[in-house]
Parts: sequence; structure tokens; C-alpha cells
Amino acid sequence: MPKAYPLPTDLSPATVANTASLVRIVAFAFISGAAIASRLFAVINFESIIHEFDPWFNYRATRVLASKGFYEFWNWFDPTAWYPLGRVVGGTIYPGLMATSGVIYNLLHSLHLPVDIRNVCVLLAPGFSALTAWATYMFTKEMKDESAGLLAAAFIGIVPGYISRSVAGSYDNEAIAIFLLMFTFFLWIKAMKQGSALYGTLAAVFYFYMVAAWGGYAFITNMIPLHALALTLMGRFTNRLYVGYSSWYAIGTLASMQVPFVGFQPVRTSEHMGALGVFGLLQIVAFVELVRSHVSSKQFQQLLFSGVIAAGILGTLAIVGLTYNGSIAPWTGRFYSLWDTGYAKKYIPIIASVSEHQPTAWPSFFMDLHFLIFLFPAGVVLCFKQLRDEHVFVIIYALVASYFAGVMVRLMLTLTPIVCVSAAVALSSVFDTYIDPTEPEVSDGDKVDASKKDKSAATPASGASVVGLLTEMVTSGPSTTKKAKPTQRGIFGLDTRAAVIVNALGMLLFFVMHCTWVTSVAYSSPSVVLASHNQDGLQLIDDFREAYYWLRQNTPKDAVVMSWWDYGYQIAGMADRPTLVDNNTWNNTHIATVGKAMSSSEEVAYPILRKHDVDYVLVIFGGMIGYSGDDINKFLWMVRIAQGVWPDEIQEPRYFTPQGDYRVDDQASPTMKNSLMYKLSYYRFPELFGGGHAQDRVRGQMIAKPGPSLDYLDEAFTSENWIVRIYQVKKDDPLGRDLKSANAFDQGKKRKRTRPPVRRRSLA
Amino acid sequence: MLPSLGAVCLSLFSLFSAIRARSSTGDSVLVLLQPNLSRDNFTIFFDNLEKQGYDLTFRAPKAETPRIIEDDVPGFNHIILFAPDSKNFAQDVTPQSLVTALNAGTNLIVALSPKQTPIFTLASEFSLILPPPGTPLISHFPARDTPPGVIPVSVPPVHPFLTPNTPPIWFSGIPFAHGNNPLLVPILHAPAESFASDTDSDASADVVFDYAERGGEGLWAGSSLGIVTGFQTRDSARITWVGGLELFSDEYANKPLPSGDKSGNAQFARDVAAWTFHEKLVLRIDSTTHHLVNETEPREHYTINENIAFEAHISRYDPESGWAPYSGLHDLQVDFTMLDPHIRTALLPVSDEPGLYRASFRLPDRHGVFKFVLDYRRRGWTSLQSSTTVPVVPPRHDGYPRFLSAAWPYYTGAISTSVGFLLFATLWLAGDDKGVKKGKSAKTE
Repeated sequence: MPKAYPLPTDLSPATVANTASLVRIVAFAFISGAAIASRLFAVINFESIIHEFDPWFNYRATRVLASKGFYEFWNWFDPTAWYPLGRVVGGTIYPGLMATSGVIYNLLHSLHLPVDIRNVCVLLAPGFSALTAWATYMFTKEMKDESAGLLAAAFIGIVPGYISRSVAGSYDNEAIAIFLLMFTFFLWIKAMKQGSALYGTLAAVFYFYMVAAWGGYAFITNMIPLHALALTLMGRFTNRLYVGYSSWYAIGTLASMQVPFVGFQPVRTSEHMGALGVFGLLQIVAFVELVRSHVSSKQFQQLLFSGVIAAGILGTLAIVGLTYNGSIAPWTGRFYSLWDTGYAKKYIPIIASVSEHQPTAWPSFFMDLHFLIFLFPAGVVLCFKQLRDEHVFVIIYALVASYFAGVMVRLMLTLTPIVCVSAAVALSSVFDTYIDPTEPEVSDGDKVDASKKDKSAATPASGASVVGLLTEMVTSGPSTTKKAKPTQRGIFGLDTRAAVIVNALGMLLFFVMHCTWVTSVAYSSPSVVLASHNQDGLQLIDDFREAYYWLRQNTPKDAVVMSWWDYGYQIAGMADRPTLVDNNTWNNTHIATVGKAMSSSEEVAYPILRKHDVDYVLVIFGGMIGYSGDDINKFLWMVRIAQGVWPDEIQEPRYFTPQGDYRVDDQASPTMKNSLMYKLSYYRFPELFGGGHAQDRVRGQMIAKPGPSLDYLDEAFTSENWIVRIYQVKKDDPLGRDLKSANAFDQGKKRKRTRPPVRRRSLA
Repeated sequence: MLPSLGAVCLSLFSLFSAIRARSSTGDSVLVLLQPNLSRDNFTIFFDNLEKQGYDLTFRAPKAETPRIIEDDVPGFNHIILFAPDSKNFAQDVTPQSLVTALNAGTNLIVALSPKQTPIFTLASEFSLILPPPGTPLISHFPARDTPPGVIPVSVPPVHPFLTPNTPPIWFSGIPFAHGNNPLLVPILHAPAESFASDTDSDASADVVFDYAERGGEGLWAGSSLGIVTGFQTRDSARITWVGGLELFSDEYANKPLPSGDKSGNAQFARDVAAWTFHEKLVLRIDSTTHHLVNETEPREHYTINENIAFEAHISRYDPESGWAPYSGLHDLQVDFTMLDPHIRTALLPVSDEPGLYRASFRLPDRHGVFKFVLDYRRRGWTSLQSSTTVPVVPPRHDGYPRFLSAAWPYYTGAISTSVGFLLFATLWLAGDDKGVKKGKSAKTE
């Protein structure tokens, strides 16, 4: 058999195997190192700090867990959140993340390594990214082979789509959830392939861990039944599938119900009914199979199959009936918003107001996945070519995740692993084909022509793109059968090989550069500390912490702070003060109350503030420095959410100019100018510019000269760059006046004379 | 260093004064006396105060010292503002500074006159509606030999803090209508047949007649007007507005009534000063606490549906003997509030423990951050306010009943399934080998 380049022949197979294994281990060590290292940009560029919003709550909860133990954590009632409702934290969170950190923390301390709990939290996500790489390796190995597995591990290790949620400090549920997702899927594939109750049980155990860690567990809950259903419909029902699925479902469901937040949802909500239905279907199918193995009459079989269909329909009807009956909760709004992207905006503005719930923009696919997104379809096509049971899983996963990633930005995260897997399968197929030294045999003239044709077809394709090559390769016939027959097709010479491989390596190189760049520039910002580049170089803007620490140092411990819900967790975490609403958006009415207070005039807002014992109001204002994520830009969502609850009092169109523009300058509508949010944002803003034009640098508009005045609140603190402004709510006037006239009196204004009040009706 | 020393001295001083003070808040009094008057016009009133133990400091309205507020701290416990005709005051005496002093706990007695002065306009901040300048109160009844502007006013026989059966008093000055502010404490009303008029000659009585035709609307007339009115701020500082300065004078105190009896001015002035300077009707909450019904120590938080008790210790000030526990309140209430009151119940005195009030109730079936709110406001009395925050939490994970009789169907199901599984496994493992072939398919069932 001709070879394109010589291979050493005097190596024993054992040596090759050992060396390959060593190389794999070394490669894997490097992959882990790269995965962890690239996530440390955040620590190096900024500092070891908890990022963003939700992580602050997780961090706070972890501290409670680490200091008071698990049972106290489980029973933790947080009186400072959702003041005055309080929050039953133990029953409303997924405790997996905190429990993981707690275990690591206690383990390190039992080894006499006095690590601060904050560092455990900050570095948890990078650590788990290495585990994710390993889980992806195992998963991909089941799909193709070890080399594809290593590629997939390398991809998932540094792909920005995953890094965006797992940089150091991004202490969120997703940090461990992606590892659990991939590992559960791997165990499921194992269980399904081997028909092993042990792997099924292991899958159930990790499924339980996943349920305890992330609300996205519903993805597994529906992916595995979907896979099982697809296999059954394809006529691929086996006892292996039955054993795997039954052991996973029975144990996994029972285990998942032990998580307090989940409780009876697995048997009572529509999202979980698919898994239950497939479980039932598999029992019926298994029974039918059993009967069929005993009965040979074809007619009887047909009768049985119609019976199966009837049972399936009956089961569905029963579920629908129970849903109407109320025993099973109907689909939630969050579920509908996955199918109709306009649904949330219309009916549940609170979900639509979150930026990561917006539909994904096209560029972000490239930004997050780079060239993997091009290889992804090729990998899926390769799966179609072999179409073993596990490949069906990849195909379904790819389809479902692609759809969801298009609907919501945050679900890009679930798409990323399968993209890495498919792309690795595709790329490793390319390498397999082009590194393999075997050349096609040339026997006679006809075949030379044929192979020359092949070559000429292959060469330009290789110059065009890897994708073109792949399609060519895929359509040219099954690659697995190639080795069995004497080689008919293949590649001649080293030049073609070199062209393709160098090209592919170049792609990989660019991928690495892209990942590094995106990670360092876009995804490593803690968003608690902002960075701005000017001619002096990097400048850190630390207004948030400045303001939160001001609150911490200068206000009484029980002073209630009202802000928009985005900042609730940060205030609780950094300022340690009670908040009205926070990022755990479970109570729409309470959030709408804050929205109403912010969008009403001072006179209307004041009783609301007093009723909720609010001492301080915190707003984020970016107009001074050009920070676009400020409250005025979020203001319309507050209006919309408040409008959803009080449609008579708050109406969105009133906040626009008659031309329908959203403006803050002198053309702004009176409702807008009188709203508390507007006043708190621009209070004394024009004074800052002396006689000049007071320009809002976010909206590029001029603020009218005498800025808004405040009667019911007092400015208490404004941070260096004016990003955070804190106002104190005045107490009732001691003399029983309304605060407006009290304020007028303090400023020395004369009161209008009045006549004695009329106490009786006039005789005339 | 110096300010802290000053603060120490001040606190020592206030401590010292608190020991011998007749008032519950202290005994230093600043008297602003307008220049055309002297102390000698008011000897009965002032001597009376000094005899009670008050420490009077006199100052002309235009004098710079002593200041009302020094370094944001009020310099005196009480201020008597007897300068109704002064239009110009020193820098530190403005309506705003008087309100600031009041909010800081200083009590005031303010005399008014028909002249428009800064103090005159201040009255409207206290929901007093004053007649136009230059319109004093006049009355032609009862028949007497004094001008119509000098009126004998009878004192209500029953009043929370006036001495019962005080004889009528002489009054001349302006009346004021009361706004609908609940903080006002009317002390003395104008006689029913009196009215405010810019002249005391009967020639211009047409105006009054015109008003009478319109039902009296808009006329400062009748018994709904006040001539001496107290006002107690939300923080319980007291200010008393007096329509005429002469009420306190020796002249009126010694002037016999038309009936020939001695006038009640001296006694009335004494009573008004006693109320204003926190001698009478002064209550305070010494402490509040809460605990489970069977315990004594407060908990950090309570569980829903628990029975808890709320207790308050209340004292009353007596000018002779100082603070003493007081069990005389029978209309106290305590609210258990989260946004809205969930429970509102009577806080009743405990019979054998003086000053102790207790309410016990079952917590609502609702978790959250609740407050015990005690808010007692009665006209003339200092207000009692207290708010204690306490979280009410759901039961702990092991706080629920462990076995429920209603769940027996489920227990039975679980137990029977387990037993069935054991039986099946035993039979399966111990059974004969006949069914080995069928094993696989049977297992999948």
C-alpha cells in the first residue's frame, strides 16, 4: 500500500498506545491550564472580585453557608431582601453552587489551607471549566474517538461562548452547570449504549446535582426524553435504552424532588411532563416487545401497535385533562417566551427587560464561537452519516440548542458545548483524512484518470475553505468503509495534505487569538469596576463600590435602600443594607411598586416610600461620564412593568414627547420631567456646568437650565463620576405640613393668606 | 478638643439641671422681651416661674447673645417670646430658626399682637389662620367699663391640664382660626359673641352685619376661634400661641373681673407654662420588649403562628417627684404590621406591675419582616411612638410534623412497593433455574 510519507514500523503497538496515552494526558494538562489561565484575565486586569449582579447573591449565600453550616443555610430567612416581605432563601435557590464552594472551602480548611471563601468563589468557575473540558472530552470520545475528544476539550476550554459565563469572579450557577450538563449527557450516552443501570444511576446522580445547581436542568429533563422518543420512533428501541432511561428517570426524578426549590414540580408542571410521558411510553413499548417475542401472529402485532398508539393518545389526553383540571401547572410565561419572542414584551415585561433575554444578534454567534460555527453544521452532517444512537442525540441537541440560542442570548451557553463537539468531530475528520499517510492504489489507466479527477476535485476545494472540503468529503462516500475495501479514494502526495493541514492549523491559530482577544477585552470586565481608556491609559471607575461603601459606613444597619432591582444583590452584598427588590425577580407586584415610585411624581411616590420604610433611594446615572447602562435608559421598563399593574396611573406614552421621542431635554414631556427617576438623575446636574450647556453624554441632549427640584428627598451622596446617586427620604414634617410647603418655608417663601375654614353651609 | 469639652460640660449641666428641674426637659428659659416692656410688667408670671425652679435669662430681641441655637445645639430648654411688636430681630431669631429649635426639642410660648411681624407670619406654619393685621378681637358682652378690646374670657371648667374652676381671665389681642391640623391643642376659645374687627367704634358695625347676612362665613368671629392655642409637634415639642401679651401681665392679673372677683390670669398663665414646658401630660416609653409567651428573653426571630407577648414600660412625669411608672392608660394599642397591620390589639396594663403594659397574641400565618408599632397620640399628651422590627420566619425544615395521618395512603404505597420489591428479588434469586431464558425480557418489565 503506498504511503505519502514514511512511518516508523519498528514500534510495538503497546508503545504506540502508551505514548498516545501520555500525549493525551499532557495535552489534557495543557488544555486545563489554558482553560483556567484564560479565565484569569479578570483577576489580572482588575482584581479578585465577584462580578456583576447574581454572583453577589451567590457569594453572600455562600458566606452564610460557610460560616453557619448547611442546616442554617437551608433554613436561612433573609429579612433584608424584598423588604418587608423577606425571602425564604433556602427554599428559593438552587443550592448546588454554594454547597460546592462550601465543600471545597471546608476541605481546604481541613487540610489547613486557610483560603478565604471569596477566593474559593472567584476561582470556582475557572476550576470547573477544566472539568468541563474533561467532560466534553469524554462525551466526544463516545461520538468519535480520542483525538476528536481532545479537540473538543480544547475548544470548550477557550471558546468565548462559555468563557463569557465562567471567568474568574463570575460566580454564577452556570459556572458549574455546564460541566454537569456535559457530564450528565456523557453518562446518559454511556447508559444508553451499554444498557447499564449503573451508568443510568450515575446519570441520575449528576442530574440531581444539576437540578440542585441550575434552573436550566429542564434542558436535560427534556433532551434525554426527546432522544429516547426519537430512537423509539426510529424503531431503535432496545432493552439497553429501556434500562438506561428507566433507571435515569426513576432515580433522577425522585432525587430532583429533594431540592426544596423544585419540590413537586417534576410531577406537577408541564415542563416535566415530556419525561414522564416518554417513561410511560417506554413501559408500553417494552411490554409490547415482550408480548411480540412470545406471539408471532402478524395481525396480533398490528393490533398491539394500534393499542400502543391508543395508549399514547390516552396518556396525552390524560395529561391535557389534568392540566385543565389544575393538577398539572400549565406552561409558564417564561416557557412561552421561548416560542414567541414578542410574548414576553407584551405580557411579562420583567422578563423582557433583562438584556440577556433578548434574541441573539447574528454577530454574536461569530463573536462567541468564531470558526466553530462554520464547522458545526459539518459535524452534524457527519453525525448523520454514521447515525449511531448517540449521534441522534447530537443531532437533536444541535437542533434544539440552535433554536434556543437564537431566541435568547443567554441560551448561547447551552449551544456552545454541542458546537464544540460537532466542530471537533468535523475537524478531526479532516485531520484523520489528511494526516493519514495511506494513498489510494493506482492499478490501471482508468483508475489513474479517476483518481486524478478526484485529486483535481479535491485540490481547489482545499484552497477554497475547510467547509467546502468537508462537504466534498462527506458526499464522497462513507469514510468508515474506506479502510475495509482496498483504498479507492484518497489523497496523493504531501502538498495537498500540507495545504489543507496548514490551512486548518491557521484556522485554529486564529481561533486561539480571537478567543484570547475576546476574553481579555469583552468578557473579563467585572461590571462592578469599569475601565475606560483615555490618552493617559487605562482608568478604573470605581463608583459603585465607592457608593456602596458609603452606604455601609454612613447609614444605620437597618436603613432600607430602594433601587431598581438590578442593583439589589449588589447593595445587599456590598453595602449590607435591606433592599426592596433584587435580582431574584419572583414578585412582579413588588417590582412594579418600585417602578411606580420611580415613574410617579414626588407627591405620589412619597407615600409609597414611607409605607415601605424606605430611607434611601439609589439611582444609577451615566449622563456625566457616558455610562450607557444607567437607569434613565432602563426607565421605560420600569414604566412598562408599573403599567402592567397600575394601567390607570402609569401610561407609557406619557413619557414620550408628542412626536413619540424619548427625550430628557427641555422637550421632554411633563410626566417625564416630574417623574422621580428624572428628578433624581438630573438633580443639580446643570449646576455642574456653571453657565455652560449641561449635556447628558449618554443621550447627547441638553438638560434645561433650572434643573429639577426636590421636596420630599434630599441628596445624600453622589459618587465621583456621578454614576451612583443616593438620596435620603425625608421624614414627615414635625409640624404636620406637607413637605413641599415645609420646604418652601425653609427657603423663606411667603405663604398665601387664607380665610378661616368653612365649618357650616352658608345660609343663602 | 474644645468642642468635646464643651459637650461634656453641656451634658453635665443638663444632667445637673435634670436633677432639680421642674420640667421634664430642663429648666433653662430664654425670655425675649421687647424693648418697651420690662420684667416689671410681668413679675407675677416670671417670679412664679423662678419659684418653680426655672432659670430665666432675659434678652432683647435685637441683642446678639445668648443665641437660640449655638453650634446647631439649642442653647435653652424653653423660650418665651414676648416680643409681638418687634419687627426686627437679631440674626439668630428667624421663623426658620425658631422652627429648628422647636424640632430640636425646645418648647416655646409665643405672644402675638395685631401687628404684622415675622412671628406673625410664622403662625400660619402651625395651621393657625390669623386675621388681617390690625384687627384685634372685640366683644361688647358682658357689659363692663373696659374698652371692647379688653375681654373677660371664661375658662373651660373641664380641661386636660387647666386647673379646674379657674375664674375668667382678662384678654386683649387677636384671635385665630384653627386649621385642620391634628397637632393643634386648643386651650382657650374666644367668647361666642366676640369677633375680630379693625375698629372698636360701633360706626363700622355694618361690616359685621354684612358678614352676619352671609352666615358669618369668612369672619373671624365666634367660639370656634382660639385665643390661646397649643401645638405639639410630632416629636412632642410644645409651642403655645397666645393672642395677646397682656394676658400674662401683672395689670391683668390684678384687675378685678366685672363681677368683682379676682381674675384667673395668674393661674391660667401658670397652667399654660406648665403644659408648654413639659411639666404636665408627659409620658414616655421606657422600654419595649417581646418574647414568646412562655419565655422571657426576646428572640432574634419568631416562627409563624407562635404565641408571643409584647410588653412596654411607660412612665409619666410628675413635676414634684419626677418620672414614675404609670398604669393609667387604658386605650393603648399595638399593631403588628407588615405594610398593613396584620394584628391590632389592645395593650393593657398588667394589674400588679406598675407601668407595665402587655399584649399577647398569635403571630399571623405569614412570614416577613414585621414591626410592632405603638403609636399613641392624644390631644395634649406627649405622643408615644415606638417601632420594633422583628422577622417572622417559616418553620425550620425539622419544624413540621413528621408523620401525618392524612399521608397514610402514601406511606402504604411506599411500604408495599418496598416489600413487593424485596419479595420479588428473593423469589427471583432463590427460585429455580427454569426461567433463565426468560430472564432478560422479564427483567425489563
